[in-house]
Amino acid sequence: MDQVNTTRVEKRGDVACIDIQGDLTASSEPFLNDAYAKACDCGTNRILFTFDPDAYINNGGIAILIQIIAEGKKRDQQIGITGISDHFKKIFALVGITKFATIYPTAQDGLNDLAGPD
Amino acid sequence: MSDENKIVRRLNDNTIEVSMPSKLGYERIAMESSASFAKIMGFMKDRIEDLKTAVSEACLNAMEHGNKGLDDARVVVTMSFENGILSVAVKDEGTGIGAFPEEPDIEKKVQNLEPTNGLGVYLIRKLVDQVEFNNVTSEGHVVTMQMKLSD
Repeated sequence: MDQVNTTRVEKRGDVACIDIQGDLTASSEPFLNDAYAKACDCGTNRILFTFDPDAYINNGGIAILIQIIAEGKKRDQQIGITGISDHFKKIFALVGITKFATIYPTAQDGLNDLAGPD
Repeated sequence: MSDENKIVRRLNDNTIEVSMPSKLGYERIAMESSASFAKIMGFMKDRIEDLKTAVSEACLNAMEHGNKGLDDARVVVTMSFENGILSVAVKDEGTGIGAFPEEPDIEKKVQNLEPTNGLGVYLIRKLVDQVEFNNVTSEGHVVTMQMKLSD
């Protein structure tokens, strides 16, 4: 089954915002990597991922997100995540993603926090 | 539709079977069926979400590792409820898990010192009350997960 994610990247203030619609699975890799590359070209080290609250997220999708977080750490980026359900907040905490990325209740909370002083 | 073409079958009042092709994406049928089944049996939403992820990961392991990605292999998921315990058995055509992945270490993953995947078994163990791997019979390998209905 082919999967297509719709992504949008825009710079809001000093934050590169990546909006991802659709499920997060191994098939998301080219879509996420492409969106992340565009965000890196925005000239900021602050990146906010907004996921679809109804998204199905599995181990393959989490692995891609961890790869991006690893790349972000190398580039000294601050990464935020918003839009995920309470269940996937728990899953992200279980696998340790929350050690490297902050999960925000809303996109505005993410923007406000990431836009603050270093 | 003949029985062999049905993906979801009711075996008795408390048992449902989902038999699906070993194709990525079909795990969602088992996931949603287990969610509906758990809801009927009275499980709360947060536990149902845990079950969905555990069933999905067990099915993905069955497809990728048990059935080694062979399209003509099947994954059979049997869910039953008895004495307040919901059991989900996920059967593939493989020979079981040879080496279990170590508990994930996000620090190592971020430093590329361990693969970023391999989280499925860990998540299953964290999300259900009990899990048994490597029940291997002549028909294949079965992972059985159990979840208790809280009072």
